[in-house]
Amino acid sequence: MQTKDQLICLWLVPFFGLAFLFAFWNANGFFPPMSPTMTAEEVATFYQDNLASIRSSMILCNIIGLSLVPFYMVIIVQMMRMVHASRVFSYSYLIAVVNGGTMFALADLAWLNAAFRPDRDPQLTMLLNDLAWFAFITPVGFFIVQNFCLAMAILFDKSAQPVFPRWVAHFNIVTALLVAPSACALIYKTGPLAWDGAISFWLHMTTYVCYVAVMFIVTRAAVIRQATESSTHPQTWQEQAA
Amino acid sequence: MNSAAVPASPGIDLSKPRMLSNPKLDQWICFWSIPVFYVLFGIIFVIFGRIMPPPTPAMATADIVAFMTSPYLSIAVVLLAMSLGIYALNSGLMLTQMKRMEGVSPVLRYGYIAVLGVGGLPGCLFPGYMFALGAFRPEYDAHIQVMLYELGFLCFVGSLGCFIIQYTLFAIAVFLDKRQLFPKWLAYFSIWTLVTELVAAPVFITQTGPFAWDGLLAFYQGTIIWVAWQTCLTFYLFKAIKEQPIEELGLPMRPNEL
Repeated sequence: MQTKDQLICLWLVPFFGLAFLFAFWNANGFFPPMSPTMTAEEVATFYQDNLASIRSSMILCNIIGLSLVPFYMVIIVQMMRMVHASRVFSYSYLIAVVNGGTMFALADLAWLNAAFRPDRDPQLTMLLNDLAWFAFITPVGFFIVQNFCLAMAILFDKSAQPVFPRWVAHFNIVTALLVAPSACALIYKTGPLAWDGAISFWLHMTTYVCYVAVMFIVTRAAVIRQATESSTHPQTWQEQAA
Repeated sequence: MNSAAVPASPGIDLSKPRMLSNPKLDQWICFWSIPVFYVLFGIIFVIFGRIMPPPTPAMATADIVAFMTSPYLSIAVVLLAMSLGIYALNSGLMLTQMKRMEGVSPVLRYGYIAVLGVGGLPGCLFPGYMFALGAFRPEYDAHIQVMLYELGFLCFVGSLGCFIIQYTLFAIAVFLDKRQLFPKWLAYFSIWTLVTELVAAPVFITQTGPFAWDGLLAFYQGTIIWVAWQTCLTFYLFKAIKEQPIEELGLPMRPNEL
């Protein structure tokens, strides 16, 4: 099996990851995030005052918004390499990835729309801003299921040479649990669970960045192992049996 | 290929049963996520959200604002945001079982999970967010609350296209399947469910009567038939997994692991 294409997709991760970090650092209102307690007039003024940085960053995010999808596809290809009774977790993983990506795209479009007409009725700007933050912070269910599927796939893997070490399964469960409380940002305007809070924002973002970094390293190791294995012995038990 | 007699090979360590004492455990986990999902669905939309059965589109503005600003609505959407992903497990399982049909190309099953993957967002999570937005800010003007209320219900009741294709693809697959994994009548039932989606199409142009989003035909008929169809599908899915021969699984299983 080819591993060159997988490595190309993998190396897009640090490139686009840095681009994401740049985009969020560049846009005022993300580090630190805007407060949900701002009034409609304050939100509208904020957009009027920070148009250039919000627009430039969100256009960049629009362009690179789904750039981590190839990375997740590499993980699926690696899941397919495992010895399983069925592929059910790989398929479910794919659906969860697609849905999670769509929600980020929606968030980005809502931010851009809020910044498109800064003299709009402040209530409408606030509405778009709320929608963007909701879609950005709170759809954790897809990440949870995605990580659950990967964890299960790793635990069920019957290969003699496991594709991922078992701690990666536990790591996926822990990151899913750390991100889960962020959904409460749909309720709270203040405190750690608000969308600018210690849990919903800071813990969520830190966890996600660490997650991508760690998964990048372990997936790269798995792909490299696949390259060496395929040169020495056949790929799968099916090929071996054949 | 799919034979229990595949000899142990150097790449596979058969001495590691791990969690796999039951070779179908992965499929069973996904299967039991279906009842879990629908129980949560009931808690979210019926008990907390009061979204099902839906209030009337012709409600007075003050009542709409009161509905939209209920704190329970936010709790419902938090649960939804945390748990909606479970349907990915259901879809993955459908794909896995549809793969066993004979004389059916992958086209149908890939299409099936693709439309389900799309359908959950406009039909479920997006309307949830519309309600959550209203509940999050009671200070929004009434006309914004009314728009969110309508956007929420029209998306929730009126997202038809994805599910119409889902029922169509499933019916074609069952009709073509030489193996009869699912009974033929379930395919006809699937078409009936499709028709109820068509009947719901006028929710966008009427506010009262049987075709409104809270109407006897558009909502109640469709929901009852859909629940019945989903129940039958789940039952036959259970049967399909249970009766799936071990030799069909992608593992070289040893007899004592069966």
